[in-house]
Amino acid sequence: MDMTFAPDPLALLVIGALGLIVVGAAGLAFGRHLFRLVLALGLAEAGANLLLVIAGYRWDAVAPILTGSAPAAMVDPVPQALVLTAIVIGVGVQALAVALLVRVKLAYGTLDLAELKALVERDIRAAAGIGEPDSAQAPATLPGPAGLIGERP
Amino acid sequence: MNALVLPVVLPLLTAFLLQPAGRLSAALARWAGPAVLLVCAGLLVQIALLTGGEPVTAAIGGFAPPVGIVFYADALALLMAIAVPVSALLLWPRAEAGEAGVRQSALMLLLVGSGTGMALSGDLFNLYVFYELLTVASFGLASATGTGRAYVATVRYVLVSGFGSLIALAGIALLYAQTGSLNLAQLADLAPERLANPLGLAAFACLLIGFGVKAELFPVNNWVPDLYACAGKPISALLAGVVSKLAVLVLLRLTVLVFDSPEAREMLMVLGLAGLVTGELAAWRARDLPRLLAYSSIGQLGLLFVALSLPGPAGLAAALAVALHHLLVKPALFMLAERWHGSLDKLAGAGRASPLAAGLFTLFALSLVGVPPLPGFWAKLLVLLELARGAGPFDLTALALVLAVTVVEAHYLFRLVGILYSPGEFRDRHSPRALAVAGLGGAVLVAAMLTLPAVSDALAGLASQAADTAAYRTLTLGGGL
Repeated sequence: MDMTFAPDPLALLVIGALGLIVVGAAGLAFGRHLFRLVLALGLAEAGANLLLVIAGYRWDAVAPILTGSAPAAMVDPVPQALVLTAIVIGVGVQALAVALLVRVKLAYGTLDLAELKALVERDIRAAAGIGEPDSAQAPATLPGPAGLIGERP
Repeated sequence: MNALVLPVVLPLLTAFLLQPAGRLSAALARWAGPAVLLVCAGLLVQIALLTGGEPVTAAIGGFAPPVGIVFYADALALLMAIAVPVSALLLWPRAEAGEAGVRQSALMLLLVGSGTGMALSGDLFNLYVFYELLTVASFGLASATGTGRAYVATVRYVLVSGFGSLIALAGIALLYAQTGSLNLAQLADLAPERLANPLGLAAFACLLIGFGVKAELFPVNNWVPDLYACAGKPISALLAGVVSKLAVLVLLRLTVLVFDSPEAREMLMVLGLAGLVTGELAAWRARDLPRLLAYSSIGQLGLLFVALSLPGPAGLAAALAVALHHLLVKPALFMLAERWHGSLDKLAGAGRASPLAAGLFTLFALSLVGVPPLPGFWAKLLVLLELARGAGPFDLTALALVLAVTVVEAHYLFRLVGILYSPGEFRDRHSPRALAVAGLGGAVLVAAMLTLPAVSDALAGLASQAADTAAYRTLTLGGGL
């Protein structure tokens, strides 16, 4: 029995793709800067795309293009077509996200998620005419004395 | 039945022609969108009448499934497909002059085209593409108010949606690696031997999270409250009403056809319960009407997922009852929130200022809580009866939780009704259009209550047809044109 460690290269690729998704997801979960969140999204998307390509890949096959010569075994073309669509969608969404980030920066002058959450909460309350935030709903970073005094609902 | 593709193609085509048309004539750009939606709704109604509710299929481009993409229209799919243009017509954004108005119309048309496609398509990747298109259209519409907070809310929505999409894509990759197919009917054929394993369950979890973003499923719904508070109310109504139901329809097809296992159902029930409890508790704490409605929407959709986790046609009927009730009531409530967007305490006196709006709100609140003669009661009763019939420890816990949460729901909704009818200074009145939409919702609700036997028969018919996987498979893979 052959006991040498010879990992299946495809398995390695799958692990890499899953790793990319996990890294991206961690970035999305723990990032504080909106632009970094967009980058993390791009990273995770690359992982998902890689996973999709691997789903139809074969080492012993050629690219799925008919050349006229004797047809060899071909890689499954369907996942490649799918991944192309997915890449295009991903690029579009990221461009849109960046465009929105520009608008956010122009409106609030910051891209820090915690600061933005506090500012938006303040704006929503101001628009709704609700005065002081109560403790459980108030973001911890909201400055000002308003949260300290005032009645609870 | 190739006319099935028209309600998808026409809005998409018009959306891209609208911009050049706007250069030629402002009136054309303004009325082309609603006119096309009317045509689409008419076409779909005609298809429904012609087929009499029997399922039909259309192979796109003449490529026979499973290689080609197939549209499958049973009564449920047609009902949802009709709901898309009709909701969009009722909630059409207020006409803005010039470029901005044309852009919004184009986005609405994209949303309708892709939404109709989601209701009809029988191919998982095609569903994913329509879902993405609908998502992108909703980004533009959500940020259309142009305020800073709308942009921030939209960015968070983009990030959560993007994450959901890539997880769904990973799920599709897992599914394809296991089965080599993405046609729902062929997946249903292959599922018992290829997907009854942990990898299959992982694929289901991925798809559930992915499509769950729009359906406001528990872990991926944190975009909901801010977006509904910051976006225009018609858009919130559209997203909470018909768009979330389209995502639910995709998940319904997946659970019925492909992932019909107890583990998948347990996953649905746990996430549904989590959404139900967190949503309703947050709604209880909310202090302005839009966010109260947003949180209660999360709770209602949690109940819907609990119902969806129940096996058999009876469970499906319960899920459909909850879904259709929510589809009717929530947009109407959001339209009422258009003027009542301020703090809840400041709404005192609104009942005197606009008695009709307050009356409608009370009607919807009673129905949401589930007060007996109203449709909401029967929807909830169906869920509870099915849970009681299941009688496992899980089912009984869910039963107790649903009842307990109903008390919370009743408390915050009746508290609000009390505020509306208490004496106060509130004088703001609703726009005629908001009242008309809400009034229409109320009228349909009352009509459904008065014709309850017929409605419940129709519901049972819808459910048994949707649960009939054998018909779906033979009709789709038989290559009927």
